[in-house]
Parts: sequence; C-alpha cells; structure tokens
Amino acid sequence: MAGGLHPIFLVEEAVKAIGLVDAHGHSLIPGNVLYSWTFMIILILVSTMATKKISLVPRGLQNFFEMVIGGLEDFVVANMGEDGRKVFPVLATLFIYILTCNLGGLFPGNDAPTANINTTASMAVFVFVYYQYWGFKIHGTHYIHHFTGPMIWMAPLMFPIEVIGHFARMLSLSLRLFGNIRGEDIVLALLFMLAPIVSTVPMYFLFMLADVIQAFVFFMLSMLYLKGAFEEAH
Amino acid sequence: MFFGKKKNKHFQSLGLASMMGIHLVSGVIVGMAMGYYLDKFFDTKPWLTLLFLIFGIIAGYRNMFREMGRIQRKEAEADAPGADEKD
Repeated sequence: MAGGLHPIFLVEEAVKAIGLVDAHGHSLIPGNVLYSWTFMIILILVSTMATKKISLVPRGLQNFFEMVIGGLEDFVVANMGEDGRKVFPVLATLFIYILTCNLGGLFPGNDAPTANINTTASMAVFVFVYYQYWGFKIHGTHYIHHFTGPMIWMAPLMFPIEVIGHFARMLSLSLRLFGNIRGEDIVLALLFMLAPIVSTVPMYFLFMLADVIQAFVFFMLSMLYLKGAFEEAH
Repeated sequence: MFFGKKKNKHFQSLGLASMMGIHLVSGVIVGMAMGYYLDKFFDTKPWLTLLFLIFGIIAGYRNMFREMGRIQRKEAEADAPGADEKD
C-alpha cells in the first residue's frame, strides 16, 4: 500500500525485529527492496517445488507452470518468429515476476515493489540495455541504420529524434507501471478510510484485472522492442 | 491458454492503447531534459533546449503513430477470419 497510508508492513516489521534499524526507527533496507526479495524467494520456492518431480504427464504445480509458460511461448513465437526462443526466458521471467509483485501488493500487510519508481525504472533500464545489446549482436555496426531513418540525407535530422524516441521508451515503460500500481494502492487506502471492506472488495477484482494487464503490457512492449531490434533496418 | 486466441487480440490492443498518451508525453520530457542539460554543459542557453524540445515533440508523435499502426494491424488481424497465425 501507499507509503504512510498503510499502518503495518509485515516484512519490514520482521526486519526491524531482528535489529536492522537506523537511528530514526526506520528499517535499514528500503521497503521495496525487501518486498522484491520476498517475492523472489516465494517464486524460487514455488518453482523448485514445481520442478522437483518432473514427470512426462504433468500434475499439480508442474501442470500449471507448463500451461502458463507454454502459453507465453506460443505468444512470443507467434509474434517474433523462431528468433523469439532466444529471448523467451527473459521475457517470461519479466512477466511472471511483475505479475507476482503486482498481485502480491494486494494482500494486506504486503507492499507491491512495483509501486516504487526505483523498481520499475531498474527493470525498464534492463530492458533497454538488453534490446540494444541484441541489436548490436545481430547487426554489428549496421545497427546504426536503425537510427538514421530511410533516407541518408535526412540522417542528421532523424538521428536525435530516434535517440530521444528510444530513451522515451524507458521513461514510458517505468512511469506507466509505477503510476498504475501506485495509483491502485492510494485508491485502496483512501477507500478503506471512507468505507472499510464494503468499498474495497469490489475494487480488488478490478485491480486484479488491471495488474494482469499491466504485467502483460510490460512483457508485450519488451517483446516488441526486442522484435524491432531483431529486424533489419528499413 | 489465455494468449494468442482471436478475442485476446483486443486484450493486446487495450494494452497498447493505454500506452498512447504516455508515449506522446515521455518523448517531450526526454527531449527537453536532454536539451536542458546539454545547454548547461555547453553554456548555450536557450537554443539547445528549444531544438531538443522540438525533436522530442517529433519523436513523441512518431512513437504514437507507430503504436497506432500496430493497433490497427492487430485489430485487422482479429477481425479477419482464420488469420490467427500471421504476424
């Protein structure tokens, strides 16, 4: 929930209880870092549980994960072609991690790490660096043609425009995710003050849908940017 | 699974459409910030700010139009019968 509006963060209290407190009574590790560690641990535990007994006929958790990851893989390959299999692990990890963070923030006592701009910005910077890396790896120095536009005499004009456009992608990726999740938290906290339980329960269903859409959009945009880096320049 | 099916093309378009506004704005912000700091560095106030602001506005509109083209293609695919596998 939004900082200051929510009374108790369970993990933060636990960290304070073991003595990692500064002079003002705040925990030494920022809340968003703590909660992203928490969700990472949960994801690692769940995935080791799912892959411990792998069988040809999937059951239980393995079945669920095969369904999710198989669906995502179909989607990536349908959009990017066979090249998509090279980058699919990163994209699927981003989707599952962001979805867990978003939905985890809805539980009482938890905070969504994506409701802090530092978390989302770090992921957006990673996506930016990653797709530029693939562009260089595939096209070598010809990757510069992605920035110069279709006509060579327009190159001095197009180059700054394209560079600004690429940096703007980073800003819009991080701001959109942060704004949506933070906004949800503030709305929930305010509604809870006005009319506890009655008003917040219906909002939970709306926000669950919004969380899935936001995680999916982040995943899809990363995929589109990677696809753009894989393509030949026009 | 809930991706790649025909009706979910609309779900994808919804995601892309929600990005339109922020694409337009973020280009302008990045352009202006770049120009502002370049101006500070080269001490040429206010010319680079203005120039890069204009570049940023153009870049924002370019990003937005590109996104619009994507949405239109997605919608056309979703409406066309049997065109599920095409890019």
